[in-house]
Amino acid sequence: MEEAPFDEDFDKYLNEALITCEKCHFCNTVCPVLDTRVTQGPFGINRAIYYGLQWNEFPEELRNLVYSCTTCNKCVDMCKKVSRALPLVEIFEKAREYFLVEKMVGPMPEQVAALKNMHVRGNPWGSPSHERTKWAEGLDIPFASKENQVVVLYFVGCASSYDSQGQKIAKNLSKILKKAGVKFGILENEVCSGHEAKRMGETGLFAYLSEANSEMFKDAGIHHIVTGDPHSLYSFTREYPEQENGLKVQHFSQFLNELIDKGKLKLSKKVNKTVTYHDPCYLGRHSEIFEEPRKLIQEIPGVTLVEMENTRADSDCCGMGGGRMWMEPPQGLLSSQAIAERRVQQALATGAEILVTACPFCNITLNDAVKSLEQEDSIKVMDITELVAMSL
Amino acid sequence: MCVNEQQLSQHLKGIVGEDHVHTQLFERVSYADTSLPYDVEEGDLPDSVVHPADAREISEVLKYANQHKIPVTTYGSGTSLMFGTKPKHHGITLSTERLTTLEINEDHQWFECGAGIKTGQVIKELGKLGYFLPIQTQIGSSVGGAVSINTLGHLTDNIFGRPVNNVLGLEVVLPTGEIIETGSKCLRRAAGWDLARIFIGSEGILGIITKVRMVLIPMPETADAVGFFKTVEEIGQAVGKLYKEKFPLPMDGEFVGEKACKIGYEAKGLDFPEGAMAITRSMGRDKQDAVRNAQEMVVLFKEAGATEAFILEDPELAEKVWGVRENAMRWGQEKGLKGYLAIEVNPTLPRLAEAMTELTHITEGRNDLIAQTEAYLYGHVGSDSLHCLFAFPYEWSTEKMKQVVDQIWNLEKELQLKYDGVGGDWGWLPHRVPFFREKYGETSYELIVKMKQLFDPNKILNRGNVEGEV
Repeated sequence: MEEAPFDEDFDKYLNEALITCEKCHFCNTVCPVLDTRVTQGPFGINRAIYYGLQWNEFPEELRNLVYSCTTCNKCVDMCKKVSRALPLVEIFEKAREYFLVEKMVGPMPEQVAALKNMHVRGNPWGSPSHERTKWAEGLDIPFASKENQVVVLYFVGCASSYDSQGQKIAKNLSKILKKAGVKFGILENEVCSGHEAKRMGETGLFAYLSEANSEMFKDAGIHHIVTGDPHSLYSFTREYPEQENGLKVQHFSQFLNELIDKGKLKLSKKVNKTVTYHDPCYLGRHSEIFEEPRKLIQEIPGVTLVEMENTRADSDCCGMGGGRMWMEPPQGLLSSQAIAERRVQQALATGAEILVTACPFCNITLNDAVKSLEQEDSIKVMDITELVAMSL
Repeated sequence: MCVNEQQLSQHLKGIVGEDHVHTQLFERVSYADTSLPYDVEEGDLPDSVVHPADAREISEVLKYANQHKIPVTTYGSGTSLMFGTKPKHHGITLSTERLTTLEINEDHQWFECGAGIKTGQVIKELGKLGYFLPIQTQIGSSVGGAVSINTLGHLTDNIFGRPVNNVLGLEVVLPTGEIIETGSKCLRRAAGWDLARIFIGSEGILGIITKVRMVLIPMPETADAVGFFKTVEEIGQAVGKLYKEKFPLPMDGEFVGEKACKIGYEAKGLDFPEGAMAITRSMGRDKQDAVRNAQEMVVLFKEAGATEAFILEDPELAEKVWGVRENAMRWGQEKGLKGYLAIEVNPTLPRLAEAMTELTHITEGRNDLIAQTEAYLYGHVGSDSLHCLFAFPYEWSTEKMKQVVDQIWNLEKELQLKYDGVGGDWGWLPHRVPFFREKYGETSYELIVKMKQLFDPNKILNRGNVEGEV
């Protein structure tokens, strides 16, 4: 059978998926991007794609709407619960791919540089590749290779490799793993997992990056990966082909709990703090890891965990997913900062001293929101690894 | 309309600000799209979508629209199943989405909110203080929209009453731009004239509701009961018994017909007996009281022939059981039927069971397009609204879809006339105008037309809705 042209496949998929929409608007009730206009939420985005295809109209305003989604998946859960179970995020990502590959109207102009950087330098910020492991200098962390086999590969991810706040996560996690006596290493030539490239519709680049990482995993004989980046975790477990070959991938919260349960990691110092936990979208809703981070937090002596109004599957997004880290939504669409500020307001309402999260993106965004709200004296933002390291 | 689109948007920007006027195609299309099974057409699009911040700005927009005879269609949330938000004559779509203020005043024992706030948000905020919103429409619907059609969603009418019984006062902008205050700020409502009552249920044709003040109702304790029946007819008989034998009325009651139950049970992983299901939410002053009332429902169900009935003590199971009803929009999809349209019939109590039986077999023995649809019966049993969802292939041409929609609406009208139904959950305008005219006669219909003329001499507001245009 002759393969259908690319274009037709996309058209067919998108049309069939979108025609299913019952137009009940339930999705809009949970969307973090929605401010006041019905068009800003998943209902408006899916209608815009649908009519764009019907009328063969793909102007910038359509692209702006489609790229405004944070891919947090809250609408997908809602649609599954009360309506027709549309895979809205998958539809929006397919549409982005269609716009980028077929119509050449995507991605957002500011995202072009990030994608180019991922391709050329292996990270979206365009930092030199050879500086990727600079954070580890002096920490005596081996590079995993065929010759130097490790039990656990710590996949650091771009944000924890290059961003100064993210690097704290890498350093703290390494310290914790060492303390627990884990034989772990990092990749000398690790590249971006490609997760965000896929979110922006650049599936070709995602394939290129995933192949590069996969090849390195294979060469170094890796069977077990631990990461602090929920975005990479999601791609490794749901989108990389290795998953079929039995590669075990864990978020550090899962792995550290196992170490505690086996008595290999002991948290003894008291940390007398009241904390609240923000579920990152790609760890919580997308990967369904809700309890392990909470269990880990509660293993720390002295810590009191209080929950925010919206928590676990109902948690709100920090605003930076879906490629929004590298774009500012055009005027008239809700800014990422506004989304993050809403979340920080929920954290402030709990009275917690620390807003803990488990994702470098959320860490950066929520920190910025605390600053923009001038609440640095009321609440600090921290990754769980920092809290755990305080208890070692 | 004697201004061009550019002049229109420029003027509107002068009233509400640059950021709150939208003329781009994909903004306009979302405000024109409704849950009708066919696509928006060029003629359905508004020229501008405007988002005023308050009554003053709305007033300015309406004055301008009157001056230039520009139609204005109001938009609360777009969740209505009557399609009143679809513009029929281009012009301005005026959204109340920015009217989202909420003040809960426990000293006065009322809350006051902007018309655009969503019921879900109000339910959440009232809930934090132990109060209950007696409007349980879908959580994305606007309070102003619900009040304008006087609906309470799935709740039983005789428990808390409809919005007309709970609204203390309104702020309204008349079609000609004047802003008026109606009603009361004390808990005593006016005997005699209360203009709020004219606007509540007038379906947006006499003015734009901008602010709603409602009494605070303490959150009741609740307990759920479920009953399984061989047929829906038995459920209809149980409801008759519920009223006649003075059982404690549940605040919410739903039923799901045999065919829909089967799909719902499968979707929720429930191993329940074949047949139809009724589920009720009883209330009480305390938990014990609520459970006692729910136990009465179990007794009622068993006396009415339920094969099994019990109180839903496990919250997880309760969520799944209510989910069987919430799953309604997926019915038909198991057969690849993605197009759908639902109707509503409100039979008189003595004929409820008969209507349920007729609707169960509604597609049988017909020669029209309805015969080619798959029909699923469900609805409310506290106050009776029987819904029937007709599913059909989305591959049908627009023309064929329009034909089936007409046939289904005509069928709804015939059934409503036969069983003496009313506007029920959803209201009358625009597509039930023929039903209203047949039920109440031309004199009654003319009264509404004349009232409209009095309030809106230039036919600015929601043009086409009184005329029955969809």
